[in-house]
Amino acid sequence: MINKVVGSFDEAVADVPSGAMVHFGGFANPHNTPNYLFAALARQGADQLTGVSTFAGYGVEVGRALFERRGLDPLSDGWDLGLIAELGRLRKLITSFPNGNSRELLYPFEHVLRRGEAEVEVLGQGSIAERIRCARAGIPAFYTPVGVGTFVAEGKEVREFDGVPHLLETALRADFALIRAHRADRFGNLVFRGPRTFNQTMAGAAGVTVAEVDEVVPLGELGPDEIHTPGIYVQRVVVRPSTPHDDWRTPA
Amino acid sequence: MSELPERLGEDVMALVAARDLPDGATVNLGLGLPLAIADYIPPDREVLLHSEQGILGFGPRAEDRADIDPLIMNAGGEPVTRPPGICYMSHDESFAMIRGGHLDVSALGALQVDQEGNLANAQIPGKPAPGLGGGQDLATCAKQVLVVMKHNAPNGDPKIVERCDMVVTARGCVDRVVTDVGLFEIADGRVTLLEYAPGWSVEQIQAITGVELAVAEDVREITLR
Repeated sequence: MINKVVGSFDEAVADVPSGAMVHFGGFANPHNTPNYLFAALARQGADQLTGVSTFAGYGVEVGRALFERRGLDPLSDGWDLGLIAELGRLRKLITSFPNGNSRELLYPFEHVLRRGEAEVEVLGQGSIAERIRCARAGIPAFYTPVGVGTFVAEGKEVREFDGVPHLLETALRADFALIRAHRADRFGNLVFRGPRTFNQTMAGAAGVTVAEVDEVVPLGELGPDEIHTPGIYVQRVVVRPSTPHDDWRTPA
Repeated sequence: MSELPERLGEDVMALVAARDLPDGATVNLGLGLPLAIADYIPPDREVLLHSEQGILGFGPRAEDRADIDPLIMNAGGEPVTRPPGICYMSHDESFAMIRGGHLDVSALGALQVDQEGNLANAQIPGKPAPGLGGGQDLATCAKQVLVVMKHNAPNGDPKIVERCDMVVTARGCVDRVVTDVGLFEIADGRVTLLEYAPGWSVEQIQAITGVELAVAEDVREITLR
C-alpha cells in the first residue's frame, strides 16, 4: 500500500542532514509558503544548508510589519526562509531577491550577508526556475540568452545560436524540496490554489519532496483532470493544523 | 533649476504608461512604479496582465477588503482583483511564457537607462547584493520593454544617461521610458522625447537629462485625461 502521509512536521524533516541542499518553495507570500515545514526544519537544527529560493525570506517580524503596512492581517504562523536565515543555518543561498526593497525593513539574510556569514549566488528568476525544472526532467543543462553581458555570465560557457549569444546554465537538483499545496491524497497527488509559484516547479526536483497541505482527501476525490502535480514527484505529505498556531515567536 | 514646473505624480505616470499599451496586449507588470498600471487600463481596451509567480489576467489592485484573496497578489505583494478569464500556473510555466517570447510588453522599474537601451535596476544603493527578480528574463525576452521610473534619482542625478555606470540587468532592451517629465523612445542609440509633461519645455527636460535628447517631429504635451 502506498501512503505518503506522515504524521508530523518534525517527522517530515527529521532526516534533513546538515550540509544538505534544499529547495524552499513559495514566492514572497506567507500564504503560499510551507510555513510549518520551515519551522520544523528550524527546530530540527540542520545547518550549513545550501538553499534555493526565489527570495531570502522576510523573517517573522518584517513579514508582519509588511503585511500590516499593506492592510492585511498578519499571520500567527507565517514563518518563511527568513527564520532559517536568521538562525544562521544557511551556508549559501541561490536566489533572485537576496534583499528587500525597503531601506527600513531588512530581510534577515541582509544582516547575514553584511556579517559575511553566508555566500549568495544571484540569478534571474527564470533561470532558477528552468534550472529546477530541468532537474525534475532529467536535463543536465540548457542554453538561454538571459544574462548575457551581465554579472551572471561570469565563468559560464557562451555559445551562439542563430547569431545570438546564449549562456549555459546547469540543472539544480536538491536533496530535499519543501513545498506548499492546497489538497493532496495518499499517493501524493497535489492540487494547488492560486499561483503555483516555485511550489509546483520544485516538486520532483529533489531526492525527497515534502508537501505541506491544507487537507488530505480520500484517494479518488482529486479527479484525474484536476491533479496539478502527479504524486510520483512527491515523497511525503503532511497536513497543516486546522487551527493556526497562535504564537508566532515560537516555531512550534 | 528652482523654477522647474511640477512633475507628474506616480498615478499619472501609470496612466501615461497604460495608454501606451495596445488593445489585446499581454503585459507583465514588474516591481515598483509599473504595478499601478493595472489601475489605469483604458476601458476601451482589453490588456492581459501577467505576474511572474504564475498569474495571467489579473485586474486592478483590490481596494475593498471583501475583494482580497491573500494568495492573489501582484509582484509587489499587493492584493489584486480577479477578473473572469484569470489563470494560475507554476514559476517554470510563467517563465516559459516570458522566455518563449509570448509577452508583448514588459513594464519595469529602473535605476538607470542609457541611450543604447541598457537597463540597470538590480543594485539598489546600500543593499549588500544585487537583486534580479524576474527583471533579467523580462527585459531580455519581451517583444517590447517599457520602463516606468522617476526622471531623476533622489540626489538629483539623471537616470537617463549616455552609458549606465550601475550594475546592468540586461543590454540593448529598453524601447520606451515613461518618467515624471515625459515619454521617451530609445532606438538606434538615440533617446527621443515623444511627449512632455504639462508646462515643461524641451530645454528644461534636457537640462535634467544625462544624454542629448532628440525631439520627435510631432512632440506634444501629455494630456491628463
